[in-house]
Amino acid sequence: MTVSTALLPVLDDLNKRFKGRLDAVRAPRADEIYIHAQMDLVAGFTAHLCRRWQARLVSLFADDARAGEGAFHLFYVFALDAARGFVLLRVPVPPEKPEFASLTNAIPAVNWQEREIQDWFGLKLIGHPNPRRCALHDDWPEVYPLRKDFDLRTELPPFQGARHKFREVEGEGVFQVPVGPVHAGVIEPGHFLFSVAGEPVLYLQLRLFYTHKGTEKLFENLPLPHCVRLAESISGDSGFAHATAFCHAVERAADTEAPPRARFLRSICLELERLHNHLGDIGAICTDVAFVTVNMHCLRLKERVLRLNESLTGNRLLRGMACLGGVRFDFDAGQIQSLRQFAAALRPEFESVVQLIESSASTLDRLKGTGVLKPEVARDLGVSGIAGRASGLDRDLRRDFPHAAYEAVKIHVPLYQAGDVEHRMRVRIAEARESLSLLEQFAAKLPDGPTRVEVGEPPPGATALGWVEGWRGEIFHWIRAAPGGRLARCKVKDPSLQNWPALSEAILGNIIPDFPVVNKSFNLSYSGTDR
Amino acid sequence: MSLDLPDVVLQTVLLLLLAPLVSGCVKNWKAKLQNRRGPPVWQVYADLLKFFRKDVVISEHASWVFSCAPYVVFVAALLAGLLVPMATARAPLSLFGDVLALVGLLALGRFFLALGGLDPGSAFGGMGSSREMTIAAVAEPALMLAIFTVAIAAGSTDLSRIVQFAQSPDWKWFNPTHVMAFAALFIVLLAETGRIPVDNPATHLELTMIHEAMLLEYSGRYLALMKWGASIKQLVLMTLLVNIFFPVGLAAAGPRAVALGVLIYAAKLLALAAAVVIVETTNAKLRLFRVPDLLSAAFSLGTLALLSTFLFQ
Repeated sequence: MTVSTALLPVLDDLNKRFKGRLDAVRAPRADEIYIHAQMDLVAGFTAHLCRRWQARLVSLFADDARAGEGAFHLFYVFALDAARGFVLLRVPVPPEKPEFASLTNAIPAVNWQEREIQDWFGLKLIGHPNPRRCALHDDWPEVYPLRKDFDLRTELPPFQGARHKFREVEGEGVFQVPVGPVHAGVIEPGHFLFSVAGEPVLYLQLRLFYTHKGTEKLFENLPLPHCVRLAESISGDSGFAHATAFCHAVERAADTEAPPRARFLRSICLELERLHNHLGDIGAICTDVAFVTVNMHCLRLKERVLRLNESLTGNRLLRGMACLGGVRFDFDAGQIQSLRQFAAALRPEFESVVQLIESSASTLDRLKGTGVLKPEVARDLGVSGIAGRASGLDRDLRRDFPHAAYEAVKIHVPLYQAGDVEHRMRVRIAEARESLSLLEQFAAKLPDGPTRVEVGEPPPGATALGWVEGWRGEIFHWIRAAPGGRLARCKVKDPSLQNWPALSEAILGNIIPDFPVVNKSFNLSYSGTDR
Repeated sequence: MSLDLPDVVLQTVLLLLLAPLVSGCVKNWKAKLQNRRGPPVWQVYADLLKFFRKDVVISEHASWVFSCAPYVVFVAALLAGLLVPMATARAPLSLFGDVLALVGLLALGRFFLALGGLDPGSAFGGMGSSREMTIAAVAEPALMLAIFTVAIAAGSTDLSRIVQFAQSPDWKWFNPTHVMAFAALFIVLLAETGRIPVDNPATHLELTMIHEAMLLEYSGRYLALMKWGASIKQLVLMTLLVNIFFPVGLAAAGPRAVALGVLIYAAKLLALAAAVVIVETTNAKLRLFRVPDLLSAAFSLGTLALLSTFLFQ
């Protein structure tokens, strides 16, 4: 067992602090430690790790291991940014007493994830402040789709259950404004219930999971190469990032690593994905305050990135590029040259769009102070990615946990404090600039060599965490391998799931006509949340 | 003074046909300034035709007010149009009402528009109506003040008289009074026709809408009447602006003079439409609670203009 030197003191401290109460400690990889313990240790362990080592609880999920180990397992995934490592706490839940203690009161960031476990695995939450249905809507029958005894092909009868009851907000002149789940424009479904007094919003209730597709169940029923394509379709705007996070997990489980050139090409594609999404978002934010001219320029620039994507990988959204062990297509010298020329040519055009935004006082007036997400709220909710960096959370997996080829470059992570729409846009602007510079650096440093290695079957039972800093935030995939090149479990964590509750906080005290622009400044994925 | 039937017919036809064209031009030019190709200028006619051919779907919660509102909105806008001199210096219906009647008719149309938004009980319609009334509460006095400024100079509230006076040599074009009144009226025009920075006519975001929110429940011929009524109202307000403050080329009598009058009038309208387009493309929409500030500015300008008529006399 080799543990990275940075993680050793953490491990020593945990062994000392919880002497005799840790059932097992194993480190399949230097930066990924598994600690087995009992349920009663969770609260104390979490509190200690978060306080003493500034760990973040980035993911919480269950795994039905009744067949092999006679119990459900809960996994608490802690990221230790300073030690560049992950600690996964594994806790068994006996099938005869399917319940677990909630951490939500201490760590609000896991609210939805705990309820997901309750819905999908039928493990009852104890002590949760709001233990209502979340991932499966209220009218679902009592079924637990992620348990192994629930067959994928199960056909459920038409739902008869009661509909969701929203919380009532009462008072003189308080109105409910229901929006959705079907929206105008090309938007995914989600229900927003505003309680307003006149125009100011008093309370916003979110109802998502309308596009729940059982993706995690589907992973357990497909051969590995197909799973890459499935991962690609988890959230359409982060297709390459999700697929790469998945490949990263499988490669780690199989103890292989993509060759250097492949890692560089992955980084290039990740930056291209970031660039086209940021360009689209900057324009869309301006559209929502009716400054359409900027959007037209942004769409033009975004289109150029998409065309470059197509000329490099054959697909405008980089679909089909990711594969286990590397990437599917190599770039020749001409393509690399065109990439460098592209970055150089796009920069001045992008700067002129930024100038256009900054010269519009009426636009900045709309964005400043709108939809403020306070840093302490962002920290409590574990907000990741753009929204976190706009609220003073200095986190970026590319810098803190370098994956792909990010170790080869120096990354400047933009950080803003106000947490309003303007700063979420400024983070995007700074990151788009950084992406252009990274593209040039990767193109210049691109090593020779193969773009793919054969990834053997991960040994049955092997578990591994894969991660990618997608354009929106941290993406985690965790897998447990099954015999025959299949998966026993794949947990997908999209940053949207983490950030949606922050939207409810950011909109408080704002007026209802400002909601669209606040929502757009987060631009969260429904599909990635619902899976 | 007598009612001149051909005049009435001519002006009605002008109002009905020209209004969608002005809306179409604004849409098309806006697109051009945003590097888009944009819909053809006659797209609005095609849209109206399409809506007239479609079925009407009415919410089961709606009452008779909902079906009656489009007609009131449309007729009120049309009648208001007949009170304003367009191509000739005499409004065809000036016998029946002056500028007070005009403001009253516009208010009647708005009242029913807001009722139509409220009636089906949908959340968006209610929001639109409440916002419309908030804005109207400031826009309407500003409109009246600006018009009264010129009415006092002309010594009459009859719009035909005002325009005829404006053609006389006594009229000073760049009198500060007129500049202020024009500015006030221009802001009112932006607010009353739902333009950026007050409202965004091109948005799909229901939560931000004002005028469009009230129309969300309308379909078929009702929607056509509402949209047509709105563009006629826009034309009426634009006509007020161009003909009171730039009374060039208004025809006296005779078919040739009238034809020339129509051409000059159209040119003035298009110039004003271009100004609206430029404001719309260079500005973001104001935060809703800032809109009353803008309209208060219009109101103050109107007040100053009115006071200065006495100062400069």
